[in-house]
Amino acid sequence: MSLNFFMQNLINALQWGSFYALIALGYSMVYSILMLFNFAHGDIFMVGAYIGLGVSLLLLKIVGTGAAALVPGWLVLVVTILISMFLTAFVGIIVERVGYRPLRDAPRASAAITGLMIGIILETANILFLGGQRLAFPQLIQSHTYNIGGVFITNKKIMIVIVSIGLMIALHQFVTRTRWGMAMRAMAYDFVVVPLVGVPLNTIAVMTFAIGSALAAAAGILFGLAYPVLDPYMGVSFGWKAFVAAILGGRGSIMGACLAGFMLGFIEIMTVPGIQILNRLFALNIGSNLRDLIAYSIVLAILVFRPHGLFGEPYSAKLRL
Amino acid sequence: MSGTDHATIANFFRRLLGGVPLLGWLLGFLAAVLIEQAVGTPLAQILSLPKMPVLFGILTISKVIAAVINAVFKDAAFDPAILVHVPAALAYLALVYLAPIAAVARISARASNRAATAMGRWNLLVPAAVHLGLMYAALHTWAGMSDYRLITLKITLIAVLLTLSLNIINGYMGEFSCSHPGFMAVGAYMSSLFTVGLFVDDKVLGKALVVFSLDFLNFPLALIFGGLCASVAALLVAIPSFKTRGDYLAIISLAFLFIIKSLFENLQGLGGSRGIAGQPDWAALPVIFAVVGLGIWSINNFVTSTYGKALNAVRDDELAAEAMTVNTRQAKMTAFLVGAFWAGVAGGLLAHVLRYINPAMFGIQKLAEVLAMVYFGGLNSVYGSIVGAVSIGLLGEALRPLEILKWIIIPLLLILVMIYRPTGLVAFRDFDLREAMGPKTEPGQRK
Amino acid sequence: MRKGRLLIAVLLCAGLVISPSVWAASDVINIGFPIPLTGDNPDVGASSKNAAEMYLKKFPTVDVGGKTYKLNFIYEDNEFKAESAVKALTKLITEEEVLAIIGPQASAQAVPAGEIANNNATPMISPWSTNPNTTLNRPYVFRGCFLDPFQGPVAANFVTEELGAKKAAVLYDIASDYPKGLAEFFKQAFEKIHGPGSVVAFESFTTGDKDFSAQMANIVASGADVLFTPQYYSEVPLIVRAAKENGFTKPIMGSDSWGSGDLMGLCGDDCKGFYFSTHYAAAGAKGATKEFIDEYTAAYGKTPDDVAALTWDSLGIMIQAIQNTGGLSGNIKADRTKVKDALAAIKDYPGITGKMTFTPEGDPIKCAVVVKINEEGKFAFHESVCP
Repeated sequence: MSLNFFMQNLINALQWGSFYALIALGYSMVYSILMLFNFAHGDIFMVGAYIGLGVSLLLLKIVGTGAAALVPGWLVLVVTILISMFLTAFVGIIVERVGYRPLRDAPRASAAITGLMIGIILETANILFLGGQRLAFPQLIQSHTYNIGGVFITNKKIMIVIVSIGLMIALHQFVTRTRWGMAMRAMAYDFVVVPLVGVPLNTIAVMTFAIGSALAAAAGILFGLAYPVLDPYMGVSFGWKAFVAAILGGRGSIMGACLAGFMLGFIEIMTVPGIQILNRLFALNIGSNLRDLIAYSIVLAILVFRPHGLFGEPYSAKLRL
Repeated sequence: MSGTDHATIANFFRRLLGGVPLLGWLLGFLAAVLIEQAVGTPLAQILSLPKMPVLFGILTISKVIAAVINAVFKDAAFDPAILVHVPAALAYLALVYLAPIAAVARISARASNRAATAMGRWNLLVPAAVHLGLMYAALHTWAGMSDYRLITLKITLIAVLLTLSLNIINGYMGEFSCSHPGFMAVGAYMSSLFTVGLFVDDKVLGKALVVFSLDFLNFPLALIFGGLCASVAALLVAIPSFKTRGDYLAIISLAFLFIIKSLFENLQGLGGSRGIAGQPDWAALPVIFAVVGLGIWSINNFVTSTYGKALNAVRDDELAAEAMTVNTRQAKMTAFLVGAFWAGVAGGLLAHVLRYINPAMFGIQKLAEVLAMVYFGGLNSVYGSIVGAVSIGLLGEALRPLEILKWIIIPLLLILVMIYRPTGLVAFRDFDLREAMGPKTEPGQRK
Repeated sequence: MRKGRLLIAVLLCAGLVISPSVWAASDVINIGFPIPLTGDNPDVGASSKNAAEMYLKKFPTVDVGGKTYKLNFIYEDNEFKAESAVKALTKLITEEEVLAIIGPQASAQAVPAGEIANNNATPMISPWSTNPNTTLNRPYVFRGCFLDPFQGPVAANFVTEELGAKKAAVLYDIASDYPKGLAEFFKQAFEKIHGPGSVVAFESFTTGDKDFSAQMANIVASGADVLFTPQYYSEVPLIVRAAKENGFTKPIMGSDSWGSGDLMGLCGDDCKGFYFSTHYAAAGAKGATKEFIDEYTAAYGKTPDDVAALTWDSLGIMIQAIQNTGGLSGNIKADRTKVKDALAAIKDYPGITGKMTFTPEGDPIKCAVVVKINEEGKFAFHESVCP
């Protein structure tokens, strides 16, 4: 196993992990502040990607493509990301208003079910309006592959990782440096007492959903750039994996979710070369097809040894029945 | 005006039917299906329906709605004559089901109350046998009229068992477990391995022992084997649950589901992603009815016993429960073992109804389906699980003609239920067999 | 109350008047389509439905034994689930009283559904299912596509002879029936030619995965001359891109699941120059095949995929069988058996995907072609292989 083989996988894992991390961030915000399983989050990611598709196609129509374009591709991309984040935030707000606010005093599991159902409605609506076929995401920026000592890196990979980390830092600043961020952290600490001292619960909830959905939209567009095939069910597995990452990170720890997202991405990607290395070392014959089995056994093992997640504090989460 | 009208109508029905015991309703249902068997087809002809309505007319009505939608939005050809099917289906429902059930229930009320009282003095087995016998007779006749009814009934019964077994963990114990399709997969695979391995492929064992009575002997064994294997697999979730609670358990169980699915995809001996086909055709309606009945009965006994109460205590406050000498580890362990056992049995039944299984059947989609049934029907409730599984199962079939729209309507319905009844339709309802089968006093009468 | 009763009486009378007209309409042949309109692969259902609708528009009636019947197609959603497929099939057979069934498409639904069709003695053609169990010991069940044991060696021979490959890599979806079966048959055939161990990387992933970079890193490191990936057209662009980004520059070979009009739209320039084995070559097609492709493209704005083409042929051969019965008795059970016998007896049906004859098992004997994706993004004929 050469070093650049390892490096190649490391870079791939970094890209894959940044999607998990971005989606897990939004999931974890809702989860930490409102104690909800937002099972619609994966589908909001899907909606964000489709909105990004629509916006970018519209922009490309206006400014033109190729050599005749009025503005460079990266500018279109930036504008697309901003507009889509804004629009998808409203989708998140609607989901909160329709699906979660009426259930504020209900058992948490019931809200989880509404989330699941809203997700199904979003998927079905997509099939209904767009007809179920896969759509290609336009390639807004030209792809370049750099060969650095046998390790292949594309400009998109670098961009994706940088944009994701930038968004994470921005969110971190928002949560730790602003009054609203403080209110959110307070709410995450105790959302029964904190509203009593004048923090508006509904405003915070709306803001949480808006920010989470906007991040999901950004993730959706970056995803579209990296894997340009969109389908109505693309959010399902992301939603469940983000659920794992958010909780693995620990409640109340948004950055924990971020790290857990990266870790999950790493585990999933690195299992494949890991198996190879094991095979070489011990002359075994394990196929890479055992990836999910091994990756989730690792997750299970982490939880057995750290039953409250990576960064969470021990607490007893009762389902408020 | 209309308010009082409503009240009088409700009162009228309450007075009319309030004193009918379960026995009376079952008799009514039996009478209705017998009437349908005798005159269903000619009556449907008279009512200008193309065929006998198969699912109480709802299917017929949704077909009409689908035709209207297609005509409006897709410019499909529309035959206005089809509109007659709506009142016709309703009339059929009223004439064949509602009226006879109400009439027989009312007329037999006095006699059935007396019979129920008389049977109440005996051992519980006697009234249980009578009620189950009547119910089976009615369902058998109902399903005997169409294969479509039969397969829908079989799969719905299995869904009842599955929903109930998940309710033990998610409702009674208050965890959010996502591992149920995994338990089901283990049960389905292991029981298929048992039956296909021993009695189909293996000529030595199979040929020599193929006697009619074998079906009855071996299928339960296969199901028990499947259930026990599922229980063993459940240890993987149950043991971490000692230290972990709530949300962490949710992802442990989800990780378990991913692991199990991946495992079966990779076990080439069990067919890999191709799955196993050719299970013997042993899952007839009486077998499924008996197994599901047994499952409901034993789960009901389990949740109403001190074990069940311990689960509720764990749900409401684990620390307090521990302090009050509840052995929380034991409670969690039993809940997972019992829940997984019956999920495994349900999986075994499903494998033998479909006579084919593959790992993709037991994924996230199945999880969403079962969770929906549990929370729709009602947490912590045996009645609720039955209501949830039956209504979602029937609705899923009856709205079939609406094609994609079905997956807008059913989720919307569930959201509405969650908003207006957050714990589900019939939550926290205990199931007391003796009371359920006992006589009913008529309103205004005193015991 | 009184008004309500009056209404019921009026409706009953109306029903009595209308009913004879409804019951008289029996000159209709119902054909059922249990296809996935929702669930993981709604595009498969959409393609099948498109092909069927197009057929219906072109041939709204069929003459059987001198009598003209109206064709009526009934689509049932099988949700890409086995349970739902079984229920949908039972509903079609017992409630809708279809004469024949086209579908389900994927093996996961076709295997349990075939059981129902066979038990109810209703002829069924699954256009797209490659699992041997679908038709095994089921005289009433047929399929429309060639099987993996045939397509695997076609691909293995092609990469050996035309591309001069000595070491091959395979990337496939372990959780999906079709790619997994084909990948294994390819490996078997390739290793038969080049000796054991010549498939130097046999990498897999799971349905729904979007990132293939880890597997691709392994494949690049293995030094394979060619990559065989029998994946669906929606995954191909991602695989091809992962190959490019990880520095894999050798040719890539695919299977009939690549053959969709959407492939080039999704893949862009990345897929040009690669090969896949399939049923027909769209570019330079002649006769009925060209006509089908042109009409489909005109109606739906894209070239048909393999699902649409196979559904079209399965439907065509089924209608041919119904015509060959020489006349329907009106007794649906007897007619179904007649259709099945006629179907088994058809020789060299000229389908758009090649001539079709069923083996006693119900599997078709037909030729495969290997096409190259040319510089214009068209699927151009390269060679034809017949069993």
